[in-house]
Amino acid sequence: MVVTCEHVWSEISNYLEGDADPALRQALEEHLARCPRCQSIHDGMRNVIELYSDKAMFPLPDGFYPRLHGRLADQVEERRISRRAWLVSVGVTGALAASAVCAAALDRFVPRPLSEMSQPARRLPQRLVAIVDGGKMFHMLGCPFMHGTYHMVTAEEAVREGFAPCTRCMRDALRSAGKVTPDFDGEESAGGATEGK
Amino acid sequence: MTLAPRSDPGHEHEAALIGRIQSGERELFYELIRPYERRVFVIAFTILRNEADAEDVAQEAFLKAFKHLAQFRSESRFSTWLIQVAINEARQRQRKTHLEIMRPIADQENEDGTYTPRDFTDWREIPSEAVERKEIREKLIAALGSLAQKYREVFVLRDVEHMSIEDTAQALGISAGAVKTRLLRARLMLRDLLSPGLDGIWSTNSQIPKGTKPWS
Repeated sequence: MVVTCEHVWSEISNYLEGDADPALRQALEEHLARCPRCQSIHDGMRNVIELYSDKAMFPLPDGFYPRLHGRLADQVEERRISRRAWLVSVGVTGALAASAVCAAALDRFVPRPLSEMSQPARRLPQRLVAIVDGGKMFHMLGCPFMHGTYHMVTAEEAVREGFAPCTRCMRDALRSAGKVTPDFDGEESAGGATEGK
Repeated sequence: MTLAPRSDPGHEHEAALIGRIQSGERELFYELIRPYERRVFVIAFTILRNEADAEDVAQEAFLKAFKHLAQFRSESRFSTWLIQVAINEARQRQRKTHLEIMRPIADQENEDGTYTPRDFTDWREIPSEAVERKEIREKLIAALGSLAQKYREVFVLRDVEHMSIEDTAQALGISAGAVKTRLLRARLMLRDLLSPGLDGIWSTNSQIPKGTKPWS
């Protein structure tokens, strides 16, 4: 294969890239070896590539990185705010959880109503109700949900001490009178306090 | 589209970073772009030929990349996508500022036409610290800046930033053949512009004679 100068010029860039098939490469090299003009083109182009490869060619402006990161931080700032908000919310949630734990712990010492049915009445009845030892609710005597030994207290005392009205035996009384003013006019059972298990 | 090899550890690392950023660890964006901060500026500078505009465009490009990271398709290279964003941003800025009013004559040339080198002076020697000399660096930048944009873009991606032919083609949205053609033309023109026979740029005498063509 014989190549002309024009052919060399059109292929010299690919040749320097190593992107020329073996036959063309050999022909180019043979031409370059005997053609000072094309050798000059070859050397010049190689030097151009080498010169512009230098990292020092394009120095960054002074302060480029701080300004770039400052500009980007505007975007990050949104996240920081939301992250802050997130942290605050986590903190608040944590505080609430902690207080809930404390409250739960306090419950051991300060009994609280344990269900929505146990809303304390504004006008607490003076009727006697049964509190089962170790239990959490107060019952009408004869309630099938009563198990174990019991003692009688007024409903007011039972609520004050954190006992909740039994959702079964007290339900009707609460419904008829409203949650806050339960009426205990239901007929008391004369049955035993330890109705069958 | 050239797909990045799945086994490329850099690609996998970037894909993992992008996943974490999208999951909320947005600070990792800094780590993701760190290898490309300089590259984005250099490309913007080569297109715009103005340092302040280039810096602003680089910042805008990173911001856009951050905002639109969800649109990045993980099967392509993040770097190529980022460069596309930067090139688009620089071109938009250029249109806005009408920089192309100063478009060089070479822009109107048909790139398929043959280019005949002008100078055949022997050019084998380069001073080893050539680029460290400010005046030479300025000449090199000016010479590159005098090329038409389509040549500047290809040259900066391939010969300054050493992106592959395929990645360069993808970033610019042109064929690999067009990249090679423009690269040849850019290299030949730069060689002519910088030939030592024209102004003695490589002489040890730091005094650059005024009036020497083509950049003075």
